[in-house]
Amino acid sequence: MIKVSVNGEIKELQEGLNVSQMIEALNYKTKGFAVAINTTFVPIAKYEETIIKDGDTIDILAPVQGG
Amino acid sequence: MKSEELRVKSDEWEIGGKTLKSRMLIGSALYPSPANMEEAIKESEAEIVTVALRRQSAGEGGGNNFWEIIKELNINVLPNTAGCHSAKEAITTAQMAREVFETNWIKLEVIGDQYNLQPDPFETVKAAEILVKEGFEVFPYTTDDLVVAKRLADVGCKILMPWGSPIGSGQGLMNPSNLKAIRKQFPELKLIVDAGIGKPSDAVEAMQLGYDGILLNSAIALAQDPVKMAKAFKYATIAGRLGYEAGTMQKREFASPSTPTVGTPFWHQFS
Repeated sequence: MIKVSVNGEIKELQEGLNVSQMIEALNYKTKGFAVAINTTFVPIAKYEETIIKDGDTIDILAPVQGG
Repeated sequence: MKSEELRVKSDEWEIGGKTLKSRMLIGSALYPSPANMEEAIKESEAEIVTVALRRQSAGEGGGNNFWEIIKELNINVLPNTAGCHSAKEAITTAQMAREVFETNWIKLEVIGDQYNLQPDPFETVKAAEILVKEGFEVFPYTTDDLVVAKRLADVGCKILMPWGSPIGSGQGLMNPSNLKAIRKQFPELKLIVDAGIGKPSDAVEAMQLGYDGILLNSAIALAQDPVKMAKAFKYATIAGRLGYEAGTMQKREFASPSTPTVGTPFWHQFS
């Protein structure tokens, strides 16, 4: 198992998951959000090839009200 | 009023590759309820609405109810980078927004001071330069500093959004002469007064300076009646634009009667 920070919370994940598998494991919705790992944007096209590593900080953002 | 409105609406303008009729950009935050937000945006007849990105909770709707309402309005969405404190954060947020909202428009906000939420000019220019190169249409939130405006134009921004006064303060235009100078120096850029507008007369003032539009949120959302205030700002924006196009009279030092003096009654010459 590895430890990562997801939206500010520490989570344990299996080693070797890609972004799509991580999203499924964490029970996030499958559409309408964007992902950044260590403050770098990960586009949908890179979900399969991007492997989550121990200590990664992950942000999963969705639309909200804004000014 | 109706005929005036129709005439102004035929006066289309262009921003970020889109042709619009309304010159008012409206925010989607701080309304008493989602239904009130929806009604106020409709009443404003704005064609651009600002939105944001925030962390989503696992397993929840995560703001999608809000996003469904906005999508149904069928108007242009302008995502912001609110809350970012560095060029790096703002660039990442912009890239994420482009994917989620499917637009290359970005309201670039890089905050440099927590007390008055003043934009950081150095990080804003740095982020703007990279975002323009990446194909974004950058709407940079900036102060009324002429040199910062010049730097943003130098890196390829076609739109500038100087503040009237600090975000959410409702203080109106703190420094109209600086805003005027920016308008004079950059006739080719699209200029929007963003932040600080508190009452409809502030919108009129901004539009009379020749600004292409105004962006506001708190002034409507925090009004006693946001829907009615949205309507007030719609008319104020139109009135200000018409005033600018019509050209105001020159101020005079002394009084000058408007009623003809020829034929004034009760005046008789005896000597």
